[in-house]
Amino acid sequence: MTLYYSMKQMFRSPLKSILFFLLAGVSAFLLALGGGLWKMNREMLKEFENIFTTVGTVEQKREKAETVKRWDAGKGEYEYYTYKKYGEWIHNDVLDFAGAGYILEAEQRPYFGALTDEKVRGKADMELLVAEVAPLETGVADSSFPVRVEKVLAGEIKEGDIIYICDHFGDETGNYEPSRFEEGKRYVMGLHSISSVHGPRVEHIAPEEHVPEYQPSNSVASRQYTLDGEKVYDAVEEAEEYGEFDVVTEGFYETERGKRWLEEAKSQEYQFHTVPVEPVGGTKLLLPFYRKEAQISKGRDITEEEYKEGRPVCLIPENLALLFRKEVGDSVTLPLYYADYLPRSSYDGGYQTSLLNAEGKIYPVFHEQDYEIVGIYKTTAALGNGDHALAINEVVIPWNALPENVWKDNIVGAYPMLGSTTSFQIPNGDIERFMSAWEKEGVKGLEIRFYDNGYTQLKAGIESRKLMAWIFLTSGCVLTVMILIFFSNLFITGQQERIAVERILGRTKRQCVLSILFGLVLLAAAGALAGSAAGFLATDRAVQATEGTTEFDRTFSNTIIDPGKEEEEDLKAAGQYSGWEMAFVAGCTVLLAAAVISGVFMRQVLRKEPLQILGRLEE
Amino acid sequence: MRRIEVKEVSYSYQNKYQKIEAVKKVSCAFETQKMYAVTGESGSGKSTFLSLLAGLDCPETGAVLIDGKDLSRMDRDMYRREQVSMIYQAFHLFPLLTALENVMYPLEAQGMPRKEAREKAASCLGEVGLEEKIFSQYPKMMSGGEQQRVAIARAMAAKGQILLADEPTGNLDSENEERIVEFLKKLAHEKGYIVIVVTHNPDIAQQADVRMIMRDGRMISVIEQD
Repeated sequence: MTLYYSMKQMFRSPLKSILFFLLAGVSAFLLALGGGLWKMNREMLKEFENIFTTVGTVEQKREKAETVKRWDAGKGEYEYYTYKKYGEWIHNDVLDFAGAGYILEAEQRPYFGALTDEKVRGKADMELLVAEVAPLETGVADSSFPVRVEKVLAGEIKEGDIIYICDHFGDETGNYEPSRFEEGKRYVMGLHSISSVHGPRVEHIAPEEHVPEYQPSNSVASRQYTLDGEKVYDAVEEAEEYGEFDVVTEGFYETERGKRWLEEAKSQEYQFHTVPVEPVGGTKLLLPFYRKEAQISKGRDITEEEYKEGRPVCLIPENLALLFRKEVGDSVTLPLYYADYLPRSSYDGGYQTSLLNAEGKIYPVFHEQDYEIVGIYKTTAALGNGDHALAINEVVIPWNALPENVWKDNIVGAYPMLGSTTSFQIPNGDIERFMSAWEKEGVKGLEIRFYDNGYTQLKAGIESRKLMAWIFLTSGCVLTVMILIFFSNLFITGQQERIAVERILGRTKRQCVLSILFGLVLLAAAGALAGSAAGFLATDRAVQATEGTTEFDRTFSNTIIDPGKEEEEDLKAAGQYSGWEMAFVAGCTVLLAAAVISGVFMRQVLRKEPLQILGRLEE
Repeated sequence: MRRIEVKEVSYSYQNKYQKIEAVKKVSCAFETQKMYAVTGESGSGKSTFLSLLAGLDCPETGAVLIDGKDLSRMDRDMYRREQVSMIYQAFHLFPLLTALENVMYPLEAQGMPRKEAREKAASCLGEVGLEEKIFSQYPKMMSGGEQQRVAIARAMAAKGQILLADEPTGNLDSENEERIVEFLKKLAHEKGYIVIVVTHNPDIAQQADVRMIMRDGRMISVIEQD
């Protein structure tokens, strides 16, 4: 009976009821839409947070320009080169500063040489030959100078062949005092093929025959550096003089220099069996992987946990997998014997000029263990772009798989920090904060570049959408409260006469509450339901409209080539968010607010005595 | 025979500025088949006295006995629902219910089935002289006299035989006033109601069986009239 009369009276003021229904609906709509958009954007941001990675690279800037001259025997003149030179090298310790907030710390990475049983490298132009040669005449090698190969210590030339040597360029300081060779002596030297023969001694050779000319090298100096980039003292090197070649006599190979020549020759063979291995804190710190120029085609990436714990796992390129006849799940042994801080692309540029340490020996293996192949990768654009390119046959292992600085006595090359050797990861959207903390350090001379695949712009877009959602949500809340206060006043305070009469007619307070609030709450519920449904549909539209963006962003952030998986991921992204939860919450909020606010008004009215109310009304 | 006995009843309330002692040690009695007129100046406490009789509040001291039972110990909601009815100067009908529905409301509140309540309400409305065409009209569409008659019909419809009226003719012209007073008298004398009318109107007071005068919260005189 109570509900019957309540509804009857409610429907007999249709304008008021419809207005309340509509406004309750608008409130619920704004709440559902605002809440839905806010949650959707928050979810998207969270999702992108997982997908995107912000990587920074550090490179020391070259500060000084220097011009050097170099003799070109082919042209018979000096050539002048200007190049930019580094100032004092900056140690990577400066990157360890307060407020950096790294996910993966900035390390200057060397790459390691790992000795394998397989011959992984072929003959290259930059290959160093080591041989004993006998001049065919006495003279100065200021142009192609004929010598006979007497004994091959390393490299692919034949004993008895006549080859031409030329002190083509002079020394690195620009001095040009071409060496003199005497007929009847045997010289041991390193030989680099540099150009075609030229000069008066080879006029009988037609240029189109392209007979190679070799630049002779007399050095058996070691290349060994400390972790600080200091050259390790080498007495042999100190004693070497430009242009003085070792003459092979009996017992020469028992001498210090003779032994070095044998080691040098042996080391050339090592280089054919050396694969570059790069230790890294995360695959995405390697820009070719980050840019998807390198992608995992079989197996999987090294996991964060494996990186963190330094598990013996690795990624190898397809070519090496074929050479080794290995598959995902197999193991590969990597005896590491040298570390080089030059960019890994230098591995492709040529063979090491020396793998001898300061004691004149080939670097011994400093670390050896089996690594499980968890992924095989392929490079899509040659080996990747420019200086950041991966080396041929590069194996990727976790940085923590090796004890810290275990390679400190096996460093063959030192170099300032480069984008390809020094990178780090920070949280997405943290670039400004990082740079502000970095600028406080006041370190000059380093260039920090960030790569985030557009996350910053994307985040800015999402943040502005979140702001819009907040505006909807806030206006929805304010509107809800205002509408409920207004209508509670209208429906309850405005009907206190009805309440008083009901009380006088013997209705209990509870019956009065039911009589008045039933219709109001029912209308609020209907409005909330309709508004929430509309809010849900509007949010759904917004989700569909942002699907395209989601797919686009994923395309730029997936490391693994797996079409099936990619599609599945995209579908997951598209259907991941549904606004029904927020629509439900919005509806419940409106309903709850209606119950609470109208309850407060009702309580106020019921506190007054019916006669007091009626008396006041009569006045 | 119904009887209301008021014993040494006092009541005060706090308004915004001060405590007002509205009723002070009032004692009196009301019996069936009589119409009582409670008169007095504004602020004399007569309306508060009426609300105590209606069980809308309890006296601070003393007691209101309904047929010998202390009203403050009774279920006062039920008392109002089943034993007492009230009518007012401003009628206080439900504006969104028709005349018929206004009368049906207390009947249904007592648990009467709707159909039966409709029949009884129609009969009550007929008794107070309202034509059938008025039954489906909303209060705003009726004259003051018609509204007050609906209010009386609503009071009659309830089972109780106690009718409390607060200035029931205050908003009516003399013709309607006369008609309403006649109804009240009829209720008392023919239907055995205790009718208690709070009024300023001396004509009405004159027509009551007992006239009671209040001043400053006290019942200063009770006069039996012929």
